[in-house]
Amino acid sequence: MTSIAARMRTIPTWQLTLGIALLALGFLIAAQLQSEGPRVTYTSQERGPLVATAQGLQAQQDALKAEIVSLRSQIATIEKQGKGSADQVRQLNDQLAAARVGAGLIALHGPGLVLQLQDSTNPVPPGDNATDYVVSAKDVRTAVELLWLAGAEAIAVNGERVTASTAILDIGGSLLVNSAYQSQPYQVSAIGPADLYARLTAEPAFQQFLRDRGERFGIRIAFAQPPDVVVPAYAGTINLRNARAVPSGSPTAP
Amino acid sequence: MRRRSSQLSIALVALILGVLLAVQLRSQNPGGGLQGLSAQELTDVVGNLNTRNEQLRTERAQLQAEVQQLAEAEARGENSVGQLQSDLLRIQAWSGLLAVSGPGVRLTVTGPIPGLAVQDLLNEMRNAGAEALSVGGIRVVAGTVVAGSAGAVSVEGTPLGGTFEIAAVGNPPSLTGSLTRAGGMMAQLRATLPEVELVVTPVDRLALPATTRTLTPAHGAPRL
Repeated sequence: MTSIAARMRTIPTWQLTLGIALLALGFLIAAQLQSEGPRVTYTSQERGPLVATAQGLQAQQDALKAEIVSLRSQIATIEKQGKGSADQVRQLNDQLAAARVGAGLIALHGPGLVLQLQDSTNPVPPGDNATDYVVSAKDVRTAVELLWLAGAEAIAVNGERVTASTAILDIGGSLLVNSAYQSQPYQVSAIGPADLYARLTAEPAFQQFLRDRGERFGIRIAFAQPPDVVVPAYAGTINLRNARAVPSGSPTAP
Repeated sequence: MRRRSSQLSIALVALILGVLLAVQLRSQNPGGGLQGLSAQELTDVVGNLNTRNEQLRTERAQLQAEVQQLAEAEARGENSVGQLQSDLLRIQAWSGLLAVSGPGVRLTVTGPIPGLAVQDLLNEMRNAGAEALSVGGIRVVAGTVVAGSAGAVSVEGTPLGGTFEIAAVGNPPSLTGSLTRAGGMMAQLRATLPEVELVVTPVDRLALPATTRTLTPAHGAPRL
């Protein structure tokens, strides 16, 4: 110790500063190379404005979704105070509240888990397909489907609620969920029974998924079990342009 | 002289350090992954965001009109039963709690198809604007999964057998076009599963049943 301290004193401070700076430089170069990862980075001129446009549109979309959620809750509040035959209105309001929860128009919280999927950081061997090392829409759909089969009752992908009409699609190396752009890490949040994790990991199909995507290609699959999982409300359109409701009791035959 | 050269090298290193730090921070948060996309992919993202924002604006306008109608009806002291009933029907039909009818397509599947491939077809139909779906006469809701290996698929615990139908209510040309386009889901499945036969038929009026599920969460609670 003392000899090191003695030597330290003999080193001029500028050398020390330079040494520390070079060390930091080395770390940063390493971090930089690592963060480049398997993804390709593009440098063409036209991309700058496109990225800015996409970011602007995404900000608009976030604002629109927040407005829609707020309007839906306003409607629910006004309807609750609605006039008319008190009993009938109360009954209808109860049914509406239940229907909104069932349709995914209300945020839920409860026990469950969060499954996170991230692109592989493995080097792609020559001859291999680089897309196999990237999380695909199919991977996220498989995770969602296996969670449903394990008993999940509400799921969101990066905050986008999975409803009866949710499509999950590839776009470049990223995804569209409910037509909203999402990039990795993909967090699949699921509410379900307290043993959801045990049920999921016991599924042979899930074990196969871990082998096929995790072990084979290095797709990073991680779990978290927070005490309270939140699954946000669906904030998109309720598209019924062609479908007509057939109230229960009416004949359904064509 | 020696002092000056040391100051110069420190300054140089600090400069490089600063540049790298800036690049590093930028690449850590690159507009949510957008930096990794090509110009063509970015164009697709922008197009998709535009379409989606347009749909959201339509939905917002409808909801704003509804808020206004409700407020006016309340001010006039009118009863809101009609509004409540139509809201209820709309939400129940969309989520699958009510039977629905309308135009769409019928996709007949024959042969040993795995559950995941059926899920891919459903995903494709949702993307093409399917408003309601059923498989083997069972309504597909959030949480419904067609599962099982080729030749042994089932939905909601009901085996589907060697031939079954997927019914989708929606715009028939959009649904047919999306399924049958070159490189589309049907073409992909024909290439990977040659023994599976897929036939899509536009239909003027389909009738889809309600789900037998309650959709009432048993573990989650509304977060208000």
